[in-house]
Amino acid sequence: MNLKKPVLFVSLLSLACTARDLTGPQIIQKVNDLMNPESMWAAAKMVIQTTSGQERTFTYESWSGNHGEKNLIRYKEPARVRGQATLLLDYADNIWMYFPRTQRVRKLATHAKKQKMEGSDFSYEDMGAGNAFIDDFESVRLDDEELDGQRCFQIEMTRKKDSDISYSKMIMFVRQDNFVPVRIVYYDENHPDELLKTLTQSDIRDIQGIPTAMKITMQSESDKSETRMELLEVKYNPELDPVLFTERGLKQ
Amino acid sequence: MREKLLTQLARTHAEHPWRMCIIILIITVLFGLASMELKVTMRWSDLLPETDPRTVEYNRIIEEFTSASNIVVVVQGPTDKIKAFADALAPQLICIRDTSLNQQAAKSILDLEKKKRNRSKKNPDDVKTAGLNAEIASLKTQIDFPLIQRVDYKIPMDFLHRHGLMLMKAGDLEDNQAMFTDPNIHGFIRNMNDVLEKEYVGRKESLSTREKEDQAIGFLDGIESLIALLNVTVKGSVQDTAAIRSTVNHLMVGEPYFLSYDKQALIMIAVPNFTAMEVDRMVSGTDAVQHRVDETLKAFPGVRAGLTGMIPIGRDEMVYGMESANVTSIIAVIAILILLIIAFRMWIAPLFAILNLIIGILWATGLTALIVGSLNIMTQMMTVILLGLGIDFSIHLISGFTEQRSAGRDIRISLERTFLIYGKGIVTGALTTAFAFLALLISHSRGMKEMGLVTGLGLIAVLLATFIVLPNFLVFRERRLERKHIRHAERDITFRVLGRSAAWMGRRHWFILSVSVILTAFMVWEARQITFDQNYMNMEPRGLTSVMLQDTITDKFDLSMDYALVLAGSADESRTLAKAYRKLGSVAMTEDIGLYIPSAGEQAARRRYIRHIRERILDSRIQANLGLSDAETIEHEIRRLGWNIMEIQDMAFQNGQDRVDTKCVSLVGNPDDEQPRNPILALADTLAAGPVRYLNTLNQFNRAFAPVLSNQIRTMANTEAISLDMLPESILERYANRDSSKFLVSVYPSASIWTNLEFLKRFVHDLSGVNDRATGMPTIFAALIEIIGNDGRKALMLTITVVFLLLCLDFRHIGHAFMAMIPLIAGTVWMVGLMHLTGLQFTVINVMGLPMIIGIGIDDGVHIVHRWVFEGKRDLYTIFASTGKAILLTTLTTMLAFGSLFFAVWRGFASLGSALFLGVGACFVTTVLFLSGLLGVLSKKSDKNPIKDYHMK
Repeated sequence: MNLKKPVLFVSLLSLACTARDLTGPQIIQKVNDLMNPESMWAAAKMVIQTTSGQERTFTYESWSGNHGEKNLIRYKEPARVRGQATLLLDYADNIWMYFPRTQRVRKLATHAKKQKMEGSDFSYEDMGAGNAFIDDFESVRLDDEELDGQRCFQIEMTRKKDSDISYSKMIMFVRQDNFVPVRIVYYDENHPDELLKTLTQSDIRDIQGIPTAMKITMQSESDKSETRMELLEVKYNPELDPVLFTERGLKQ
Repeated sequence: MREKLLTQLARTHAEHPWRMCIIILIITVLFGLASMELKVTMRWSDLLPETDPRTVEYNRIIEEFTSASNIVVVVQGPTDKIKAFADALAPQLICIRDTSLNQQAAKSILDLEKKKRNRSKKNPDDVKTAGLNAEIASLKTQIDFPLIQRVDYKIPMDFLHRHGLMLMKAGDLEDNQAMFTDPNIHGFIRNMNDVLEKEYVGRKESLSTREKEDQAIGFLDGIESLIALLNVTVKGSVQDTAAIRSTVNHLMVGEPYFLSYDKQALIMIAVPNFTAMEVDRMVSGTDAVQHRVDETLKAFPGVRAGLTGMIPIGRDEMVYGMESANVTSIIAVIAILILLIIAFRMWIAPLFAILNLIIGILWATGLTALIVGSLNIMTQMMTVILLGLGIDFSIHLISGFTEQRSAGRDIRISLERTFLIYGKGIVTGALTTAFAFLALLISHSRGMKEMGLVTGLGLIAVLLATFIVLPNFLVFRERRLERKHIRHAERDITFRVLGRSAAWMGRRHWFILSVSVILTAFMVWEARQITFDQNYMNMEPRGLTSVMLQDTITDKFDLSMDYALVLAGSADESRTLAKAYRKLGSVAMTEDIGLYIPSAGEQAARRRYIRHIRERILDSRIQANLGLSDAETIEHEIRRLGWNIMEIQDMAFQNGQDRVDTKCVSLVGNPDDEQPRNPILALADTLAAGPVRYLNTLNQFNRAFAPVLSNQIRTMANTEAISLDMLPESILERYANRDSSKFLVSVYPSASIWTNLEFLKRFVHDLSGVNDRATGMPTIFAALIEIIGNDGRKALMLTITVVFLLLCLDFRHIGHAFMAMIPLIAGTVWMVGLMHLTGLQFTVINVMGLPMIIGIGIDDGVHIVHRWVFEGKRDLYTIFASTGKAILLTTLTTMLAFGSLFFAVWRGFASLGSALFLGVGACFVTTVLFLSGLLGVLSKKSDKNPIKDYHMK
């Protein structure tokens, strides 16, 4: 008698039942856990569009610690920005920049977290959001949708009253098989019906058992611009020196 | 009835040629006089319906805002020279007097004076005399007319000196107030550094990238001026007050001249005393300004200057448009004449045909002047269209008459028979095409409606000329030949190759029909891929300085001339609208009166900071003697300033703000260079090398600099509320109409509206979301694309229906009407397919070619089917050798006429010419292919050996 088939069937059934029964907050908790590992290192490249219409490509390394509370980004290419670094602490509430040409560290104004990060369509807040999905939004599960042939949970996330996050609302599409948010639609801070930008995650690979989107695109509805980000290499939960997330680490 | 009329006309021609000649002369003179009144307008807005709110609003803005109709002088060259040129040219432009209309005005005044005297004699108390006096007074202002009211090429410095701080946003004042508290050089630079390091990342309020870049560049400009002054001072030059004042102005107010980002171009805006609606002044005014610019340039070698703006562009478009129409018409006439001489192997008949056509077109022009009054961008091509189509009538008439005379008939009989045999066909063909054009009257757009009316009536005018003028020429010629006893030689003017080919294709009808269907399917596939070019600049005249300078302005100043305009009922509404527009993602920036008169609330919020600045600057003291530590502070602060700017440069590079990055290069060098030239750090190094040595120099500098800066800040720290009456004329007239009852808001798109149709639609949609009164080129052109697209579709369907119904009436056989339509429909598809294959796109001008080709292309099928019926539904050889030759000839003449449009300066004309050139050619080919195949099939049914006639012949 082959026992494997009933076991597999029961497993799939339980997964289906579990998935079907999950509430909005439960799904967002899983997404949050997935997106905020204890620590992370990545090598990536980002393509932005300059004001004269040219494309400019940056490559950089980034480190993330304490479940996304601390982030450090250090630029490698092009040569002009080599060594330039940005440190985001307290979920991007405090932002520091280092300029190797002057060897000075500067603190950015607090409101900078809502602004575009380095000419991209991402804000500093997007890059160091941490637990914002849970802390700043109320989540409600809507009807499931299919995106690119994948069943997805559809979650409507509405900003909590006491939150000062830059989006009034987000609609997140989360793949049911791995909880990767493959699309997030952001709505304007003051006009909940006004579409602001859309994040798309693709090329999902299994890295150290964690499903990881290697390609991330942010399309701005208002500026009709697009920023493409590509992870070239990722390591989860590496040992990180706490000094990394200090002024000394920023200057290294 | 028709026969009776034609017979009577032929008889009158033959019996009373002199009487007819006089009638022709009278009609021609009358229409000629009328045609002199014909105006030309080349504005895109004139293509929209007259009642379209966008057109109404646009015309209202041009009428009410003198600044909307301007002459822009673009000056290029080294910075100092272009500034000097502008200073020299501005007063000269104000002095220009236009005398071109003096004579006309003086004559009108004399007439009115005479009229007034007569009235006074008859009735001294006539109240109408007052009206005449007013008219005379108005005419007197036209004599030695001062063309230019004002020339703006500098920002209004006095106003900004008095109210500069009140024009800064409260947030900026809060962040920057420290900069205005110490006028001493070391304190000033230290405070500037503190401000730079304090805020570092933009403002809290949302600013577009363009506004952020402009603010940063303005600020960096001021620093560049200060560093240049310090560098010169340190090198030992004593700075005069003017140089220091200029630097302080740069720091506090900005660059006074309207300079480009690279400082190699300057714009001067001459505001005329007339609007773009006054066509005569538009031409003479532009010419007078151009003359003065050219004269002034002689004293400034290395400087280039040209004119652009609404008035010069309007002038150039009109003058070159007319020149273009004349040149293309002459080319078409010569080409057609040569073709006809070759085809008929004689010169006199083609000459008559052309002369008749020219008279017909003159009648058509007079008729247009009387009915429509003006030609627009589309109808300007009327002459060429009529040349191409109208020549056909003469060709048929001359051929018939020559044939009759060759058969030995006398003049009267020959003319009568020609009118009866060929005249009916000519009338049917002409009316079919004319009605197809007149069907365009159902169009919503004024451009297409007028096009239909003008070409439809024009064709009828040419048709009338063909029956009134041409026979008169022929009668006189025949009488002369008779007097000289010269007889007509018989000539075989058939085209045997075409006849043989058609007969061959008729024998292989299934093969030919299959090939035709396959080719048509391929063309359908090609046609489906054609795209629409919405960039109106691609339709503007090529090679015109005024048009090219628009690109220079876009490149050098990053300033699009194509922005939206909105009228507001009050300054408050203007501010509210501008604020709402700035929130739109598709908007880069806005310009409105609010830039110079903040709202009462905004002024109140700013007053608090200004008061504080005023108190601080009044408390400050100018340091009479700087100590060594002060010199060291200056050196340190300059170095710190250098670092701050290097960091701004790095951030600008990372943020993709190219203009800020480039501006920083002139201050701290290019980081990509091995050894960047860094004037700021070089200055700091110089001072560090010998602070004692430079102490005296710095002291002298501070004694000159600090009082000027202190005074400037004290004047600017003015808490007085700004009101409309305080605004300088140059600002007020830019944003308010004459009685300040309406205010203009300019809205600039954030991306190119001409390279992305989706963006254009979005921009226009966004604008309408705020207010439905927005007008200007983006709105007008989006409307044109939509309206003309719809009109094109409707007109296409209607012309097909009208042509089909006329064919049914003409043939009285629905099957024959269908047969004539098949090559036409296929030819139209081929036209679009060939357009795509040859890299053409649809435009708002050439889309009109679709309904037009229906009217033009139908003739080929009609003539072949008529001849087929006449020949007993057989004998393909004769049909194509004889009638085929005629349609080939008319096709070639029409193609030559449309082909002449390739030489048009207006690229829009060339786009229509190209489309119709392909279309007319395609209709001929499809007629030969489809009809030889179809007739081959049908002939086979009626005759077992359809080609026997060919073998017999």
